[in-house]
Amino acid sequence: MSETTYTATELETPVHTVRLESTNHDGSFLGKNLAPKKFAASAGSGFAMADLLFGLDLGNAPTFGFAFPEWRGHVSDVQFRPDMSTLVQWEPGLQSVIGDYWQADGSPIGTCPRNLARKLVDRLATRGFTATVAVEIEATLFQESIHEAREKGYRDLTPLGGSAGTAYHLAKSKDWIDYMSAVARRLDEIGIEWEAWSDEDAAGQVELNLVPGDPISVCDNWARARQVMREVAFERGHTVTFMAKPTAGYGQASHVNLSLQRDGVNAFYAEDGPSPTMRHAVGGLLATMRGAASVMLPQITSYRRLVDLSGPPTTITWGIANKSTAVRAVCGHPAYSRLEYRVPGADANLYLAVAAILAGVIAGLDGEIEPPEPVSDLAWCVPDLERLPNTITKAAAALETDLILREQLGDEFVDYWVGTRRWEWMQFHTAGGDPFAELSEWESARYFEFP
Amino acid sequence: MTETTIGHATRGADAVGGLDIRIEDDASPIVRLIGRTIADSVRANGADSVVATVAGTVAVRSHDTPQAATISISDGVVAVSSGVFVEPDLTLTVDLNGRFALVGEPVVAGDDDLAAAALALLAPPLPDWKVAADSFWAAARSVPGIPDMLVAITEGPEGLDQHVVGEGETHYVIAGPPELLAGIFSGADDLIAALSTGLIGVRGTFSQLSVLVAASWKVRYDV
Repeated sequence: MSETTYTATELETPVHTVRLESTNHDGSFLGKNLAPKKFAASAGSGFAMADLLFGLDLGNAPTFGFAFPEWRGHVSDVQFRPDMSTLVQWEPGLQSVIGDYWQADGSPIGTCPRNLARKLVDRLATRGFTATVAVEIEATLFQESIHEAREKGYRDLTPLGGSAGTAYHLAKSKDWIDYMSAVARRLDEIGIEWEAWSDEDAAGQVELNLVPGDPISVCDNWARARQVMREVAFERGHTVTFMAKPTAGYGQASHVNLSLQRDGVNAFYAEDGPSPTMRHAVGGLLATMRGAASVMLPQITSYRRLVDLSGPPTTITWGIANKSTAVRAVCGHPAYSRLEYRVPGADANLYLAVAAILAGVIAGLDGEIEPPEPVSDLAWCVPDLERLPNTITKAAAALETDLILREQLGDEFVDYWVGTRRWEWMQFHTAGGDPFAELSEWESARYFEFP
Repeated sequence: MTETTIGHATRGADAVGGLDIRIEDDASPIVRLIGRTIADSVRANGADSVVATVAGTVAVRSHDTPQAATISISDGVVAVSSGVFVEPDLTLTVDLNGRFALVGEPVVAGDDDLAAAALALLAPPLPDWKVAADSFWAAARSVPGIPDMLVAITEGPEGLDQHVVGEGETHYVIAGPPELLAGIFSGADDLIAALSTGLIGVRGTFSQLSVLVAASWKVRYDV
């Protein structure tokens, strides 16, 4: 539940600005900058923000083609309520606080990603479990400034750190290392704990691992860490993007690791392999994977990643220590036994991804869903393994008819999400996107900077 | 893989007037638009007789976007698929928001009969606006959130004319020239594009407008 009481004395002086922070369904980092006096006056009651923050697409056009929920009026206001436990000093004089969106009557906005994730965390708790989540943030850095990138239409940019080598190269040029070092220092200053960073497969690509934690805190840190990466890039005259495939080459992912604890013990651990809890969690994740793919692969470009042998999973599969499957089980360790859900792209909204993952897990636990046998062979290029939906429309259709995800995530979210994905499909095709290009200019313009 | 299925057409739509019209699975808007337009032509004109006498491939390209599709006519079957991956017998560059109006001359590599047949298939006659409103509202009933009634208003030679479809407590008003209303209701014209011309007026809630867009997609693209 959001903290709704607040006194002006909680702000340390001198503070000149308080920034409200949130994400919308697309994963864009949204908010408003307030004078401390205004923040103090309204923090208890909330801050009015136009519902269009959920109503515009990434091209700034209103989304149409589906029935709006009650809270969508004629550009009505929704209430942003700050969660004061998230208040941090972003930089000297600027404090930031994350919050959620609520209706005037006090009920949650069903499409608010943070509300939805918390609903699933709370539901899991009623089953006696707490979840620990970790996320791998992948991004690609370019040498050019954002202004230069815009002038070039975000294409034909120069990877920062050179084009040679793939993963784990320490001998990259110092500009790349300086950038990531600066990001790490900024995270330290804000209080976001990180575990590791390194280069990834594509030229200019980086992977940043945040410290595992409770799902909401990790999602909050994910949203802020990406903003830090943008700000540091801007300060150093470079560019960073989280789009699923910023060039026609490699894509980038956002793998989510998950374990469940019960009475302080890792419920996924068993001496001889997956525990019954882990098996049922996998069963639920596979049962919901077709529909959940819509959330994990939210944009047109997301589906261009799904190429066999290139890294992302392409089939609805799980395996033990098998990174070619969609769910990788790590077994046999009392502390580290976990599931790695490998479907999400770097463009997925982590709050929604976590909500959909927990939805599948809860359904699996409730129904004691047994998964199929784990895949022990390579899960790519196998004709008799069911493939993930490979277009935004197929995934949306799968979500629309997924009764488990409807029950867990709510009709309001599912219908709104499916409606916005169909709008995205229509915009892509009818407003300039090229389905026959490896990566169209329309996609670069729409997805490079946001979300 | 790219966003859109680019394989050959595989799924048969309902036979229309004895003609087998096929579009591919997970078809793109242009494929759906062409398939629906050809079906309307066959229903209105009995254009299946036109198809029976010709064969060949027709490339249809949008004049202002990368949208493209291939119409294959063979043995009385019309198949529409996304993209152009063969050397076509005929290439038509068209305005997709202008009822397939030609932009430039057709590029003919085969016989002229194919061009005549293709142009006929892509130009079904507009129904009367009231008839179109009836069929539009019938198709829209399955769209979640659709109002109970449609009030269509136009101004003809004898002044204002109104046509009401459906019954119930909620209604939506749409007004404009009869030919444009007929175009919207039949799927020949895009509702959002029509609104941007200023020739169409609507009254209702924001949500109802969104739902009306869904209904217009249903008749235009069969989605």
